[in-house]
Amino acid sequence: MSAKRKYKRRYDSLPTVLLFVLPALIPLIVFWIYPILRTIYLSFTNWDYISPTYKLVGIKNYLSLFRNPRFYEALWHTLVFTAGTLFPTIILGLVLALLLVKNFRGSGILKFIIFSPWITPTVAISIVWSWIYKTDGGIANTILTSLGMSPLKWIASSDTAMLSVIIVTIWKSLGYAMIFYLSALEKVPGELYEAGALDGAHGWRQFVDITLPSISPTTFFLTIITMVNSLQAYDQIQVLTQGGPSGSTRTLLYMYYQLGFNEFNMGQATAVAVVMILLTVGLSLIQFKVSEKWVYY
Amino acid sequence: MNTRYSDNRALPVRILSILGKVLILGTASIFTAFPFIWMMVSALKTKADILNTEIFFPTVPQWSNITSIIFDSPIPRYIFNSAWVSAVIVALQIVSGAMLAYALVFLKFRTNKMLFAIVMATYMLPVAATYIPSYIILADWKMLDSFRGLIISSTVSIFGIFLLRQGFMQIPKGLVEAARMDGASHWRALWEVVCPMTKASFITFGLMNFISTYNNYMWPSLITKSSEYFLVSQGLRAFFIRDGAYGTEWALVMAASAVVVIPLLVLFAFTQKWFINGIGGETGIKG
Repeated sequence: MSAKRKYKRRYDSLPTVLLFVLPALIPLIVFWIYPILRTIYLSFTNWDYISPTYKLVGIKNYLSLFRNPRFYEALWHTLVFTAGTLFPTIILGLVLALLLVKNFRGSGILKFIIFSPWITPTVAISIVWSWIYKTDGGIANTILTSLGMSPLKWIASSDTAMLSVIIVTIWKSLGYAMIFYLSALEKVPGELYEAGALDGAHGWRQFVDITLPSISPTTFFLTIITMVNSLQAYDQIQVLTQGGPSGSTRTLLYMYYQLGFNEFNMGQATAVAVVMILLTVGLSLIQFKVSEKWVYY
Repeated sequence: MNTRYSDNRALPVRILSILGKVLILGTASIFTAFPFIWMMVSALKTKADILNTEIFFPTVPQWSNITSIIFDSPIPRYIFNSAWVSAVIVALQIVSGAMLAYALVFLKFRTNKMLFAIVMATYMLPVAATYIPSYIILADWKMLDSFRGLIISSTVSIFGIFLLRQGFMQIPKGLVEAARMDGASHWRALWEVVCPMTKASFITFGLMNFISTYNNYMWPSLITKSSEYFLVSQGLRAFFIRDGAYGTEWALVMAASAVVVIPLLVLFAFTQKWFINGIGGETGIKG
């Protein structure tokens, strides 16, 4: 007994702690923490990757960024893309989970089908979608025409390219949201529904008063995860549109990629990266703040 | 007992709600399955078939499209690259992640909470913001365009640390303390006491990270330029845009996509329960 208490009080020895912590901490510092700090530093320089020397230029990169209309376009596209993927993914994911939470014959197959896009490479399925979206002879237009609607130019027009990329992204992430909601719905205690039924809560009221609050932590988690993923979407944009036509699908991340790895304008690229970091942190903080009002643990 | 499923509404309402359910689920599953089906039927078409929008199924299935991808294209090599690189990366991530999660949950040290806060903060940062400096580090180490560079830059998974920490916290602390008092080292306590009890978290971690590393595109495509080091996504895209193929060889491009996607669907069919039970259940969220 006394040995146990003695053990509880003592800290573990430094070598033991280091042994367990360093295998993850060293790579984390080298490839995560240091690069983030380095990115912030580089955003205040005029480095072009080729020159061995570069100098600090203050906030010049930010000033020219904030004067560049391309930046505001990219920022707007990022927000449109994020909102356009976030809400449908969460809402449709919840609807599907509600319909599939009670097992029936074939529900396993349906879950398998709806989740399957998530495990396949975005590049592979984006190639398939670019074939579906093809203006002449693509199946999407064939379906539209057979329904009596006029064909669209999909990824070939700046009016519809963003919509096309959003559809692919929702298609890909829907199953992921559904799976999280399924397990959250299964965990809602049955007594809550029984108590609610005694108070006359049925149908819609039951859903609003009992189900939604009970699964609100999952909604919160999915909102953050989907948002972070959308802010970083690259694969489908690279395959489907490369940011085009005429920049209509160029998000901040894609602008960062073009500035950094095509134009080697590292100062400008890292400035965009810093804006992305601030945007991610800012949106997350807002959600944490707002979540106090609607998330029930 | 469970009023959640009791349904005492009038019959017409019940029929309507069943019809609505069938309609929504039917639309959703056709919407999700359709690109896969279209990929597979397109992969088996001739050049003439594929340009004819009137035809859904291939007139005569061209299995030679598939065999030419398997035997005469670099696609199998990319699949092999992706598979073994991901296996190595995931093995390293499991060991480093399990050790850090063990330290966070079972070791006592002063900076424990701060360490967790740092790990948690990095989880939300956009990983792409690290790419330029990470690229420079690999360039300095002469590891661009190599498997070593791909592996060494991905040996830690923050998602995995969360998943395992969440699993480890369910284990009563007394069990680990008992093992320690019986003379087991922390190392043995981790692998012989904690790991067997959280096997599900480990399997979910392994599968999820294997799939995402296998499919990973942006970072590998930035640091590898020679096709012998391509992972499958980059290889597939190179195949897609290689001279002349774009727009003319759709059947072959679809066959290549099918060869990449179908093994993953089969893998998923056998491991489905680990994804479905694992990711929903152990997300680090209460409730």
